[in-house]
Amino acid sequence: MNNKLKNILSVILFSALLLIVSVICWVKPETAFSESERRPLASKPQLSAESIFSGEFTENFEKYTVDQFPLRDKFRTIKALFTTKVFAKKDNNGLFTADGHLSKIEYPQNQQMLEIAAEKFDFIYQTYLKDKNTNIYLSVVPDKNYFLSFDNGYLSIDYKKFIADFKQLVPYMIYIDITKLLSLDDYYKTDSHWKQESITDIAEFLADKMGAAFNGEYTEVTASDKFYGVYAGQSALPVKPDTLKSLTNEVLDSCIVTYYDTGLPKSGEMYNMEKAGGKDPYEMFLSGTSPLITIENPNIRTNKELILFRDSFGSSIAPLLAQGYKKITVVDIRYVQSTFLGNLIEFDNQDVLFLYSTTLLNNSTALR
Amino acid sequence: MLFSSIPFLYYFLPIVLILYSITPKALKNTVLLLVSLVFYAWGEPMYVFLMIATIALGYIFGLLIDRFRGKPLAKVFLFLSATSSLLALAYFKYADFFIENFNRVTGLSVPLFRLALPIGISFYTFQILSYTVDVYRGTVNVQKNPVNLATYVALFPQLIAGPIVRYSDIEIQLTSRSHSFDKASDGIRRFIFGLSKKIILANSLGELCDAFHLSADKSVAFFWLFAFCYMLQVYFDFSGYSDMAIGLGKFFGFEFMENFNYPFISSSITEFWRRWHISLGSWFRDYVYIPLGGNRVKRLRLFFNIFVVWFLTGFWHGAEWNFIIWGLYFGILLTIEKFFMSDLFKKHKILSHVYVIFFTAISFVIFSADNLTSALSYAGGMFGLGGIPLASAEWLYYLRSYGVILAVGIVSATPLVKIAVNRLKQIRTAANIINFLEIPVLIGLLILCTAYLADGSFNPFLYFRF
Repeated sequence: MNNKLKNILSVILFSALLLIVSVICWVKPETAFSESERRPLASKPQLSAESIFSGEFTENFEKYTVDQFPLRDKFRTIKALFTTKVFAKKDNNGLFTADGHLSKIEYPQNQQMLEIAAEKFDFIYQTYLKDKNTNIYLSVVPDKNYFLSFDNGYLSIDYKKFIADFKQLVPYMIYIDITKLLSLDDYYKTDSHWKQESITDIAEFLADKMGAAFNGEYTEVTASDKFYGVYAGQSALPVKPDTLKSLTNEVLDSCIVTYYDTGLPKSGEMYNMEKAGGKDPYEMFLSGTSPLITIENPNIRTNKELILFRDSFGSSIAPLLAQGYKKITVVDIRYVQSTFLGNLIEFDNQDVLFLYSTTLLNNSTALR
Repeated sequence: MLFSSIPFLYYFLPIVLILYSITPKALKNTVLLLVSLVFYAWGEPMYVFLMIATIALGYIFGLLIDRFRGKPLAKVFLFLSATSSLLALAYFKYADFFIENFNRVTGLSVPLFRLALPIGISFYTFQILSYTVDVYRGTVNVQKNPVNLATYVALFPQLIAGPIVRYSDIEIQLTSRSHSFDKASDGIRRFIFGLSKKIILANSLGELCDAFHLSADKSVAFFWLFAFCYMLQVYFDFSGYSDMAIGLGKFFGFEFMENFNYPFISSSITEFWRRWHISLGSWFRDYVYIPLGGNRVKRLRLFFNIFVVWFLTGFWHGAEWNFIIWGLYFGILLTIEKFFMSDLFKKHKILSHVYVIFFTAISFVIFSADNLTSALSYAGGMFGLGGIPLASAEWLYYLRSYGVILAVGIVSATPLVKIAVNRLKQIRTAANIINFLEIPVLIGLLILCTAYLADGSFNPFLYFRF
């Protein structure tokens, strides 16, 4: 190809590319939500003299053009593949693939966040639990990096130190160590959470330590064989989906589940199959985010009750624990103010388990 | 508006290219001026009026200097022009620095202005200054058409991050310039290479630099890794921006001066500054150093001249002591080279390159700091002061993670690829293959840059304090 022809072609192709993409940008209908990233996308900002002179318009317009860019997910995949495969970067936006799992770097340990979490728990202890004949337990769920980071050369918190530091901050809790019972296979490959079908031993161990031993036998139900977890969308890398399963048996089927999303009781299901096909399929367990849920087991002789303070890891283990208790109250203080709990729960003579993941404890600003 | 952004690439630029193409020749500058004002107002909706006022003053003083040429009044108007431009720069960029230091010395608490720095003020102030000085010197004709003068100053490709285009360089091009496929194609190539340098290399290296700043696990090795990455980041960021400016200029028929010429292959600091930010260095040479007498003066005066130029070079980059120290650091190195080391470089080629990289790495660590205290702390960290360990887990992780990017950066900072391509082009078949591959490579790079932007990746703006 001679220079003249190359230069003419170059100008025509470049101009055409700019113009075509530009036209698509202008005419493409807005997308309200990114399924892959599980977040709302920026919409076209309102034009006004005030928004222009304050700089708000241009700032929001730039966010809008990035969020609404045509084939954005494909471009994100190109970038992720280039970064990790060509530049051989160990992570892309903090996400990485190792041993067939997607994970996110959780580093460094944030002592301030641990203290914030401990303060919230201390408030609950001092306000509701102290002198109420309650047994207070703590268990910490390690994130996947506990199993992945060291062998694969990723930055990671020192988990032993992390848990020891947190235990020191909540000396009134009895710590139950579940780390030895867990392995990488107990977690979804594309998601941050553990698999319900892999944690029956954890549930039994916890119950045993709290004096509510049970031995459950279950039937596995496949809710979705195309479960793309939270990391799949965030990483933008092409990955194989996980299978999302739930466990059931006669005891669990007979449990009465009540949700208090608005403060008022509303009966519901242990497993919300509608959500299994939704934006975040893991939300099928106890319908995902809910401030307060009770699970009552009518077929048990004991009067033991459990109050479970939890993050999303608790959603899949709470149903299993229901087999050892007459009633479990599942509380998520990310969605309800701790100061308000006295109006919803009568604290008296219960087991109380604080079950939180290292990820949440290390990023605890969401606790209220 | 940033060149390396979706709004610029896919909203602003296509509209501008269409408008410019369909506009008759006589109105092309008017269109360029209007879109340049929109470009500037996009990021600085209020300060666009400051820029217009500064241009208006430059225009009026230019006319007055010309009107009273050869008379004392011409000097007065030149003085007024320089003073008004520099006062605006001093007020918006340096006022708080002066107040802070005044407060520190006197113990008073004079309140700070806390003004946002108008983007590009250092660049356009210097362009207007050079214009009025050149009119006074008679090296350029006065520009009687205000649109043409405003187009020269506000021309969006070079407005916010240079190169500092001299009026003398584009005086003729403002009224008579050619457009061709060859020039436009050259501009596209230059623009996309610049965009890639900025987005793919500079921003990636910048992520590591940010991680270093946030790290609580610093070590001597990590300081050096940061130093190399930061100097490459600034180079690719700044030279990438200059490439984009030069490339965009070619779209519109302009030829801007080169601003970078592989500075890291230099074998002396003197050579480094002939290859780094060339338009700034030559500006200070022509408008400060030579008027002070240059090097045709007594030794003591020469030291003074060098001190003034490098003090100002440092201060131009930012209103903090670390920038002044950074400038003077180079001034000292250049003085030592000038008087004591010229033979050394001729005899020891490898040593001279190591020397340049070593001292520029330290200089960029000083440059990267927010203030003098952290500059000294960072520079000390490179030599293990403060009891930091030799190596750390974070250093090892980031070295592994960014090893390839760093290697690509190092190779791209040398002319190796350019030399190889030029040699291959001497073989006819290879030249044909290279020509054939050029367009797919450019489109591939543009898609890759778009992918980085669509991902909302790290995209800092390093020029805000210039």
